[in-house]
Amino acid sequence: MSAGAWRANREPAILLGPGVLFLLLAFFFPAFQLLAQSFLTFGTEPVQFTFEHYAKAFVDEFYAGVALRTFRIAFTITAICLIVGFPLAVIIARAGPILRASLIVIIILPLMTSVVIRTFGWLVILGPGGVISWTLEQLGLIDNSISLMHTEAGIIIAMAQVLLPFLVLTTLGSLSQIPPSLEEASRVMGAGFFQSMFHITLPLSVPGLASGSLLVFALSISSFITPSLVGGVRLQVMAGSIYQQMTGSFDWGFGSALSVILLIVTLLLIVPYMILVSRAGGRQ
Amino acid sequence: MQKLSVRSVTKRFGELSVLDQFDLQVDDGEFVALLGPSGCGKSTLLRIIAGLERPDSGSVHIADKPVTDIAPERRNIALMFQSYALLPHMTVVENVRFPLRMRARYSRSEQLEKAREALDLVKLEHLAGRYPRQLSGGQQQRVALARSVVSEPNLLLLDEPLSNLDARLRETMQVELKRLHERLGLTTIFVTHDQEEALGLADRVILMNKGRIEQAGTPEEIYRRPRTVFAADFLGGANIVELEVVKSGRSWKGKFPDGTTVPLTNSPDLEAGPRSFVLRKEAITFQPVNSMAVINGSIETQNYLGGQTRSLVQACGVDLIVVTDSEKTEIGRRNTRIGWRVEELVPLEL
Amino acid sequence: MIAATPRWVMALATTFLVAVAAFMLVPLFVVVASSLSSSAFLVFPPPGLSFRWYGEILGSEAYLRAGWTSLKLAMVTVVLALALGTPAAIALSRFRFAGRATIASIFLSPLILPSLIFAIGLLIIFSRYATGPSFTGLVIGHTVITMPYVIRTVSANLADIDPNLDEAARVMGARWWQRYWLVILPQCKTGMAAGAFFAFNISFDDAVIALFMRAPSVETLPMRIYSTLEFSPDPSVAAVSSVMILMTMVLVVMLSRVFGLSKVV
Repeated sequence: MSAGAWRANREPAILLGPGVLFLLLAFFFPAFQLLAQSFLTFGTEPVQFTFEHYAKAFVDEFYAGVALRTFRIAFTITAICLIVGFPLAVIIARAGPILRASLIVIIILPLMTSVVIRTFGWLVILGPGGVISWTLEQLGLIDNSISLMHTEAGIIIAMAQVLLPFLVLTTLGSLSQIPPSLEEASRVMGAGFFQSMFHITLPLSVPGLASGSLLVFALSISSFITPSLVGGVRLQVMAGSIYQQMTGSFDWGFGSALSVILLIVTLLLIVPYMILVSRAGGRQ
Repeated sequence: MQKLSVRSVTKRFGELSVLDQFDLQVDDGEFVALLGPSGCGKSTLLRIIAGLERPDSGSVHIADKPVTDIAPERRNIALMFQSYALLPHMTVVENVRFPLRMRARYSRSEQLEKAREALDLVKLEHLAGRYPRQLSGGQQQRVALARSVVSEPNLLLLDEPLSNLDARLRETMQVELKRLHERLGLTTIFVTHDQEEALGLADRVILMNKGRIEQAGTPEEIYRRPRTVFAADFLGGANIVELEVVKSGRSWKGKFPDGTTVPLTNSPDLEAGPRSFVLRKEAITFQPVNSMAVINGSIETQNYLGGQTRSLVQACGVDLIVVTDSEKTEIGRRNTRIGWRVEELVPLEL
Repeated sequence: MIAATPRWVMALATTFLVAVAAFMLVPLFVVVASSLSSSAFLVFPPPGLSFRWYGEILGSEAYLRAGWTSLKLAMVTVVLALALGTPAAIALSRFRFAGRATIASIFLSPLILPSLIFAIGLLIIFSRYATGPSFTGLVIGHTVITMPYVIRTVSANLADIDPNLDEAARVMGARWWQRYWLVILPQCKTGMAAGAFFAFNISFDDAVIALFMRAPSVETLPMRIYSTLEFSPDPSVAAVSSVMILMTMVLVVMLSRVFGLSKVV
């Protein structure tokens, strides 16, 4: 066999090897450890196999409440992102180059800013003596300063801003694949602006909207920085209580079990997302 | 000396046989076209000659040396890709210098000088400092050509050299390629699916079909005397007519579907029964003389081609395309006499 | 916009865009505004204008140390993510081999798994098999979550180039190392640059992995900001945050210069 043929077989292995090895050790091994930990007793000698962490997660009413709150918040956020994100994506898709570029910057800039900083901004806006309170006071609508801190509404508003870009970008992917001639044709055939929007643009962007919503939902149930800073300890969400278990009360077995439950819910959402994206030609 | 010898090369991709016991000899200085439809194996053959594919069996010899096991980078050949494959991060002169640089031939300044000479050959010396993306398609091709000849390769291989150019540029480049070949005398093999390109450029045309040679010969032979239905069809210049061959006394005659008979030239492989014949469009005339085979027909439609006229003639139960130099249109004329020199009706292989 | 859009729809759209832009940008704007406040408390509107909080952070050893840690972390992450991701992207784009799709999805899987889950796994590993969370742990965690971006940008980059370049170079006499150095790597440059920008940005901004891998001796800027916000936010946090917002803006501009915004999204 010639040297060239030898290389043709070995080259990909040499190039991929270090990366694959690194991911196995630094990514898949930890994920596996987390799974194992959720079935093992923590802090006892010897370590034993157990279902107690899962039993606790499903029996304890407090965690049922946390889970309920988490999903309620995630649903509301997804709905808001859909309502705001679809028209925004449509406008971006049809805007002239300058407007388009500025709108994309407006979307990308917050996306690339650290989540702690964005949440900080919302603390200033939502808090007592903050922007909203001050505005309402100036308008004479309220007498005493109000605060949206430690409310679900506050969490939802802050997280919607953090997650809106994901929905807009995936929808934009779908929209950019619709030839503009389709809608022009429907207009020529007598459809009004909203008729053609409803019969042409909306149905054709469903893949993008669906994958974007799944992504937003999955990201919102697993985020804890914004909910814990805005919601505080009383309004815990699942990710926040996992953080609490792992770094506060050091109940790693229980924390791992909660994580695995969260992971399973996420995977149930992400798998359809992956299928939608690969069908749509994989833009995001 | 034989510059290239391909000996019973076979190549399969899975179940698909791409080349089947293929043989090809090319003499020093020859300009050979590998012509055929897509999937006929011509590109694979070119890649095997270049060393980019390995044959499953058989061998390749370049300049009388076996090279089957030699990597492409050590074969001293040049291959111009259909996409030109210019290195986008290097200037034109750096691109042209690249083969000399890789083979560490000459000093740096000599390499640059050779590169400039090659660019001069394609009249692009003034663009030496540009990047490929700043050039037009035609200019990019000239750069690729200069890069192919700079290292004085044993073989120059061209993959669909003109297919990315528009019609007008293609004509100029045909002239250019021919001129370059005459000037440098490089043994050149090019792959094309365009019969006009093959006929116009090559000394010898190898018509390929399904991994085998369908017919090989000079452009005139291939065009005037196609031997098979495939060859006649692919070269496109001919009518294919189904006739019944009958013996009439000591000579053979061809019988049209309506019973009209025409004389045939004596050929040893003629035998009674149905047979396909080829009759070139240009060989038919509306002013037949007595020595010709003559039949009656009616002109159905005519297209003016500029300098030539193409007519669809219905005669004796078949449709014939006739291309004449006359610019007269005579649509709808019944009982038009058409004729051809007897030897123009060529029997195809069974 | 399509020419036949009704005028009142245009008016509505304009209002909508202003509202969305405000919704997206006001949180960043108030952070910058608060950093310029002369008051020691985060109140709106700020009573007066002052740059003193910027002076404050420049004099604060805790912020400077956290900034330096974040910078080191982001730079090491960029180098590692490029070193591991670029060859993988080259292999995935240039070769067709059995199991290619599987390996590609292995490389992109850190994008799918919530980083919260991955961070917990990492915490367990480092507590069990090492001396607990550390700078090395952060480097490893950040390399895992940024490598997919390098692979995506480099692959996108390689998808645009002529696939024949490598073979053309071979026929012209280039040996394998010459082809990697002179032909393939130069083609990956823009993808590597874009991947580096993403990796730097993600590593520098990350709080999730950082909070789980919190070690007494290692504190990054987002960690410091988070704990300050939890307890006693003051305008110096706003000043640090404003500096980070400025860095992000610079990165976005550089990204769009190098890669074009349409490729970024």
